[in-house]
Amino acid sequence: MKPLIEFAQVGFAYGDRNILTDVDACVFENQCIAVVGPNGAGKTTLLRLLAGALAPACGQVTLKGSDMRALKHREIARSVAYVPQNVDVPFSFTVEQFVEQSRTPFLKMFAGLCSADYEAMRRAMELTDTWSLRSRVFNELSGGERQRVKIALGLAQQPQLLLLDEPMQHLDMGRQFEMIDLIGLLRREGIAIIASMHDLALIEGTFTSVWLLSPGEPMRQGSPAEILRPEILEIAFNCLPHHRPRLLERMRDRMEHDL
Amino acid sequence: MIAAGMGAVRVPIWLVVNNILHGGALSEDQRIILFSIRLPRIVASLLVGGALSVSGLLFQGLFRNPLADPYVIGSSGGAVLGASLGVFLLPPISIAGFGTAALLAFVGALGSITLVYWLARVDGRTPVVALLLAGFAVSTMLSYSSYFLEVLDHDFGSGMRVLASWLHGTIAQPTWPQLAIVTAMLAIGLAASVPLARNLNTLALGEEYATHLGLSVQQTCIAVIVIGSILTAAAVALGGLISFVGLIVPHILRMVLGPDHVRLLPAAALSGALFLLVADTVARTAIAPAELPVGVLTALIGGPFFLYLLRNTRQGVMG
Repeated sequence: MKPLIEFAQVGFAYGDRNILTDVDACVFENQCIAVVGPNGAGKTTLLRLLAGALAPACGQVTLKGSDMRALKHREIARSVAYVPQNVDVPFSFTVEQFVEQSRTPFLKMFAGLCSADYEAMRRAMELTDTWSLRSRVFNELSGGERQRVKIALGLAQQPQLLLLDEPMQHLDMGRQFEMIDLIGLLRREGIAIIASMHDLALIEGTFTSVWLLSPGEPMRQGSPAEILRPEILEIAFNCLPHHRPRLLERMRDRMEHDL
Repeated sequence: MIAAGMGAVRVPIWLVVNNILHGGALSEDQRIILFSIRLPRIVASLLVGGALSVSGLLFQGLFRNPLADPYVIGSSGGAVLGASLGVFLLPPISIAGFGTAALLAFVGALGSITLVYWLARVDGRTPVVALLLAGFAVSTMLSYSSYFLEVLDHDFGSGMRVLASWLHGTIAQPTWPQLAIVTAMLAIGLAASVPLARNLNTLALGEEYATHLGLSVQQTCIAVIVIGSILTAAAVALGGLISFVGLIVPHILRMVLGPDHVRLLPAAALSGALFLLVADTVARTAIAPAELPVGVLTALIGGPFFLYLLRNTRQGVMG
């Protein structure tokens, strides 16, 4: 099977601060990847490289066999949808007008939206349970609703890969579980997903792989069971055993129990 | 039609309609007033109003800020300096009816925008915030530097008066060739804005998000600046600096029609044109036979109305 996206020896730096070095990785169609790591380790940078918004300083990112740098933003946006952490909309767009922007990469210069566009929007909004919100003003939605509407916009791009930057941010516990369910649902729809995650407890069961970023270390890849181990996380997140969050203890207990 | 009938010399409206439809029925004086004075002026105010509102809408969309106006990236400063040069230093010439001041104001407006764009450009990118700040600085610098030209005024104030009335926005007596040129510019500007309107909707989500959605942000930015500047410069050449039209018309329309630029664009062209026609008709009839600069009137009406809207809408400035 051919990979959707392939990283070859990718490196990236902001000024002289190295963020990523020598990353080799593949994303396949059926994958659901959680990107984890401490703040500033490069999770968002990695997502932006995957979306083609940043060009790597060295190495190469390829999308379905062609170099990302050679592709137009329009072409990338038809295969890869990026759902950002925060959106600031200065005008009072309705949810429907907001989701409509998903069709930008498909529209010809003078043409309006056609029925296929509306069909894609409707399906995306139904999947994310936002169809009933369509006439509401985006800026007046709650944090959880806004998150779902942003994902609806991403889905209406009919992408093969959906990138979610901190999808759990600002969500209460109930909304977090809804979001996990939604990610599971999208996976069954056959969309590859890469999400940056802070809450490690939500990863197992839904995500197939974990990419662990840690400053100054090569990126680790593996299944959740392989990566989410206390001895690995302690080093990656630089938390001493006596500072260890209760979460890690719980995870260790569970793993010992499993063994 | 109604506007054509009004003015220092009254022409009954039914005679105006009748004359345009069938010819005749008017005295020679009335004919001259109607066809060489009033109708050109009416067309001019329609054109200027339409151009200013469309350009205001484009800049508000580009800067994602409902308080942007057509002069936001420096065109007014360049226009002031150009017009002062024309009034104080250069011999009067005329191309297709445009006088020295109008021509130089046109050139000045385009020149200062080019300068602002060049100044704001860093590493092949033009952040809109830099554009806004550079626009403010250049515009203020240029408009104050016109003071040095005023010192050179030998006619003790006659040039000053010409300049002042121009600065306050006066739709003077345009000739038909002038109108034809501006009509062509407005038509081209409008046609070119149609595909931009949808891009501005996408751009409203932010530059980075818009890039992720496949929009070429730089191309959109350049296109808006080029079209917006040409429309503004054309309006300035015909009517001087008319305030508030380009700010308030798109703003009110957004409150009524919502923020979709595809719908706002034709609406802005139409309502801007009508708004300025009404304003100019009032300006030339209110204290007839004298005239107010229409810019004074738009500021006097537009300012308070705008403040009223700001205080009385639920969504406030973000309408």
